[in-house]
Amino acid sequence: MAITQHPSGDWLSGYAAGTLPLGQALCVSAHLEFCSQCRQNYSRLSQLGGELMQSLEPAPSPKLSLDELMARIDAQPKKATQDIEAYDLDLSDGSSSAVARDRIKPSGTVIPRSLRKLIPGGYQKLKWSRISPSIRSAELCRDDKGLKVELLRIKPGGASPTHTHLGDELTMILQGSFSDETGVYHTGDFMACDQSHTHTPVASLDRECICLTVTQAPIQLTGFFG
Amino acid sequence: MVQAQQKADQQKQLKLWLKAVGQSQDRAAFAKLFEHYVPLLRAYSLAQEPGATLVADDLAQEVMIKIWNKAASYNPSMANTNTWVFTLARNARIDALRRNGRYNTNIDADDLFENMEDEGPDPFQAAQTLMTQETINAGLAKLPKEQADVLHKVYLQGRSHQQASEELRLPLGTIKSRIRLALKKMHLLIGGQ
Ligand SMILES: [Zn+2]
Ligand SMILES: [Zn+2]
Repeated sequence: MAITQHPSGDWLSGYAAGTLPLGQALCVSAHLEFCSQCRQNYSRLSQLGGELMQSLEPAPSPKLSLDELMARIDAQPKKATQDIEAYDLDLSDGSSSAVARDRIKPSGTVIPRSLRKLIPGGYQKLKWSRISPSIRSAELCRDDKGLKVELLRIKPGGASPTHTHLGDELTMILQGSFSDETGVYHTGDFMACDQSHTHTPVASLDRECICLTVTQAPIQLTGFFG
Repeated sequence: MVQAQQKADQQKQLKLWLKAVGQSQDRAAFAKLFEHYVPLLRAYSLAQEPGATLVADDLAQEVMIKIWNKAASYNPSMANTNTWVFTLARNARIDALRRNGRYNTNIDADDLFENMEDEGPDPFQAAQTLMTQETINAGLAKLPKEQADVLHKVYLQGRSHQQASEELRLPLGTIKSRIRLALKKMHLLIGGQ
């Protein structure tokens, strides 16, 4: 199923500019691993950053000297060149975008690279806690702004409680699909909700749905657990 | 137009220098990159924290060291040197904030951005995917000031949408819509986002 839900320009440019809280940036980053279109948009938004930086009034330093910097560079452990070799190896195993453009097939269960540090042993190894008969959650971390980064897994056909949001809620579907009042969301889709949304996500019947969610504030339940 | 030509020539030169550093650790070429980028990197840091000259010096040095170490992996078909240096500076800024932050996370900028550039389905599409420096600068020059100001806040001062909304005394929705309008006007987004 093609990806139809992308982060809007304000999200994508916040990601490119580096101003999103880490949890939200993770969500955008995970989407990019599924979505070539957004990777290309990101490339252009980085170009914009490059030209904006060039437009700044240069601020030369009275103190920084090239000689001192070269001394620091020469004093580096030899690791620097090893980094480059490691990078090349990385290319050869096909994990770079240059080799495998769509690294994650929307039908697969591959964990996005950006999340692997947080999910080192795979989805099964996480500590899942039951929050309703059909939903389990596992908190991955609190980010630099205190946002909660967690995974939800919803049983096939399971419903999440009807809720609204006190702040932004970002959702990235890592496996399966769900639908709510606004439409159907598939693997790889990105969804941003805020105070104005009240919804009841329901996982599709064919497969368990796994989502990454990043929330600013506890969601407000308006219905009952399904 | 003269200015656009100058920028294009300068970019050609910067690419040659960066290539020389990557291929043969050319110190004279690195000195030229130092001369060009250090004042801009400091300006980038000072845009976020005016007056914090030590922070600016640190960021400039950290990024210059990365330029030296990573020059061999620079791919000129994916990004011009300005874009590449910007992404290094942005990542250094993120990692510095993270180190000083209240919450500990083990996610760093490389986890968020590594290999996310994309030149399109095939190398021949790079020209259509990436824009020329001239097109971007022409687009920037034509932006209404109110939209340019918001881009400046986000990209250079490193403000979140919420912070931009507070500092410019505008509703959050206005900030977001000005950004989207600016990006649309500059044709930076394909695929109807
Ligand atoms: Zn997308
Ligand atoms: Zn929700």
